[in-house]
Amino acid sequence: MFNFALRRFALAALILFVAVTLMFLMIRAVPGDPVQIMLGPRATPELQARLTAELALDQPIWRQLVIFYGNMMQGDLGTDVFSGRSVTQIVFQQLPFTLELIFASILWSAALGIGLGAYAAAHPNTLIDRSVAVLSVSFVAAPAFVVALLSLLLFAVQLQWFPAIGVGDGFWERLDHLVLPAFAIGLSWVGYIARLVRASMLEVLGEHHIRTARAFGLSERRIVMVYALRIAVLPVVTVIGVGMGFLLSAAVFAEIVFARPGLGKLVIDSITTRNYPIVMGSVLISTGLFVISTAVADLVNAWLDPRARTST
Amino acid sequence: MKIEWMKAPTGRRNFLKGATALGAAAAMPMGWAGTAFAQDDGVLRVRAYGDAPNMDPAHSVGVVEEEIHAAIYNKLIQYKPGSEWGWQLDAASMIEQVDPTHIKFALRDDIGFTNGHGAMTAEDVKFSFERIVAEATESPNKPDMGPLSHVEVTGEREGTIVLNEPFAPLWSIALPYITGNIVSKAAVEATGGRIGSDPVAESGPYLRASWSPKEKTVLQRNPNWKGDAPAWDTIEVYPIDDENTAEIAFEAGELDLTRVSLGSVARYRGGVPNGGTLVENPSLFYVWLGMNLDHPKLQNQKLRQAIQHAIDVPTILEASYFGAADPSTGIIAPGLAGNRAQGLVAPQANIEKAMALLAESGETNVSLTLDILNKTTYTTMAQVIQAMLAQIGITLEINVLESGAFWASGENEDLQLVLNRFSMAPDPSYATAWFTTEQAGIWNWERFRNDEFDKLHAAASAETDNAERAAMYQRAQDLMEESGAYRFITHEATPVVHSSRVVPALRPDGLSLLRYFGKA
Repeated sequence: MFNFALRRFALAALILFVAVTLMFLMIRAVPGDPVQIMLGPRATPELQARLTAELALDQPIWRQLVIFYGNMMQGDLGTDVFSGRSVTQIVFQQLPFTLELIFASILWSAALGIGLGAYAAAHPNTLIDRSVAVLSVSFVAAPAFVVALLSLLLFAVQLQWFPAIGVGDGFWERLDHLVLPAFAIGLSWVGYIARLVRASMLEVLGEHHIRTARAFGLSERRIVMVYALRIAVLPVVTVIGVGMGFLLSAAVFAEIVFARPGLGKLVIDSITTRNYPIVMGSVLISTGLFVISTAVADLVNAWLDPRARTST
Repeated sequence: MKIEWMKAPTGRRNFLKGATALGAAAAMPMGWAGTAFAQDDGVLRVRAYGDAPNMDPAHSVGVVEEEIHAAIYNKLIQYKPGSEWGWQLDAASMIEQVDPTHIKFALRDDIGFTNGHGAMTAEDVKFSFERIVAEATESPNKPDMGPLSHVEVTGEREGTIVLNEPFAPLWSIALPYITGNIVSKAAVEATGGRIGSDPVAESGPYLRASWSPKEKTVLQRNPNWKGDAPAWDTIEVYPIDDENTAEIAFEAGELDLTRVSLGSVARYRGGVPNGGTLVENPSLFYVWLGMNLDHPKLQNQKLRQAIQHAIDVPTILEASYFGAADPSTGIIAPGLAGNRAQGLVAPQANIEKAMALLAESGETNVSLTLDILNKTTYTTMAQVIQAMLAQIGITLEINVLESGAFWASGENEDLQLVLNRFSMAPDPSYATAWFTTEQAGIWNWERFRNDEFDKLHAAASAETDNAERAAMYQRAQDLMEESGAYRFITHEATPVVHSSRVVPALRPDGLSLLRYFGKA
């Protein structure tokens, strides 16, 4: 297990390096003078020259990359051009908002998805199973931004049950503000997880150990909940790990539609204004999150199912 | 399997049990009782279109930060809320232009800075204004202060602003806008000359209580403010980029005031939810179609004029602005000196004239490109223009660009036609500044070069006779239009909705003056 973990984290570091380097090169390939865009039309030539030098934009691209990684190794992600604040501080100030949104989305979608999938598998080819199938496909097919807008109009404007914008202050307010965005970006995951669990569960229910359990006279409820579901839930762990990346991108629009602070919004704003230090800091952290979450998912999977350790 | 490095009480089997329980828990009813959003009296919630991370007027990047600065700092004079541009006294108890280059002022004696930095003095005014123009400050707002020479301190609270030459925008931009904010000399010097994202000392009717980046800025009543008491105890400013989101938040009762999209104006004209009010203000923005005079395909003036006459502005406005904006006559908006009552080319297309001009030009099989920003408004506008030019036989290819790439178009020598939109401060010099010869290839994307225009721009800034000044700017816009490089489209509009409990204080262009907001 230790060797597996070591190999997996080495791969994660490599993926992180490649992704961040690619992003570094891509943002510099985008047309437009970043200094002029950052400082606006009225900046003096002296200020433009100073910022160009500060950001090392007068250096060859390979040297800029070396400087970036050199600073990064020392924990220095640079300084925001506009406010003069440290990029690390800015990024870590926004990160919790994105993380809480992602975790809330995963939590409720996994809870409901696993429940629906398990129930459908335990009652195959019944009306309930078919209803769950229809619901699941509908959830997967519903574009998250449409769900977001409709839920805003219904639950925030019409019924006024939940707030429409912001993140709120204090635990309960924050939770209240999470409901609609987490609902919007988690809904398609409910359908996806339900389908996954159902398929996996049906396969498990046909295996020998389940037949043995039935032969021993265990209740069907116990067989499904204890013996079958714990194996059927394995693929969900992997999917959730990979899903972090998708949820990170879904968080971008949720942060815009629900006017929430967060990493996604920070990246979009920074790319638009060519604020290179913040773009790179945000990308580094979000890519790191994605890579770590997939690595952790793989490790958890390997821990739960020893056969997975030999397959990577 | 034994996992040595993990000492958590849960094992693999326990984890699986937990996951199973999670699934079972989903079967439970939600039981979530949503709570209706409650509004506290005394809290005004308004939307800004961006965040305000910078509390230094010298490095402020525009109106978003100025909305906050204007509430927490004081100026000698402030814009007066209403439908006409004007100013009123703020920190000054008296201000007077004694000759074209000298402005005497006296400060009120009841304004103090926070954090123990004492009363506001003429030294603070001198420090604040001279700091803007000092090379070391590297302020991008330096042009707003124009030919400021220095400020003479003649008493504890008296002084004289000395200019190197007359400067008309002093009264419309320099003093009542960004650069007019007075900061505490002692406080700024104590921080090494730079104010960051936290104000070092405030003096206005409100204090910035907190700033949560990308979330909100909270202003609270300054307990030591001796002027007219502000109406609201607390003002929360929410940075919301997306207008549709802001509209939904307003309709949900979470915002008291927001600018709304032009597309929503017709709906709000039929009634604003919750007893709110729609206020339609003109805007200072100017939108136009530009033609690059340096491009080989656009050397023929008759061709450019044919394009001017082929474009029907009312149709564009109907399609892109849903009829909520009026045609413009130039770059200077109504209400400002130099606005033209009508342009040289009528807003309506004249297809016959356009075809005649095209025939005169001798150009055939004309095919051009139009660069636009990737916003729905411009895409629609471009498609309408494409159809209009097709009517006279000109083929138009539309290039949709992301904002960074679009705003770098000044360097693009291959640029042919471009749909552009600039913002401005309430002085005509702010508009003409971008179309001078020295701006060619920087912000003058049409590469319009005209000596008379350059001279008019320079002379008009120093002209203190309003009528003379207006005539100069009108002539400057005539020159732009005569070149054939410009088809002026609109100044847009600033529709704002506010709730029934607010009496808004807005500039003539619809921007908020938070310190003057009242309660209904």
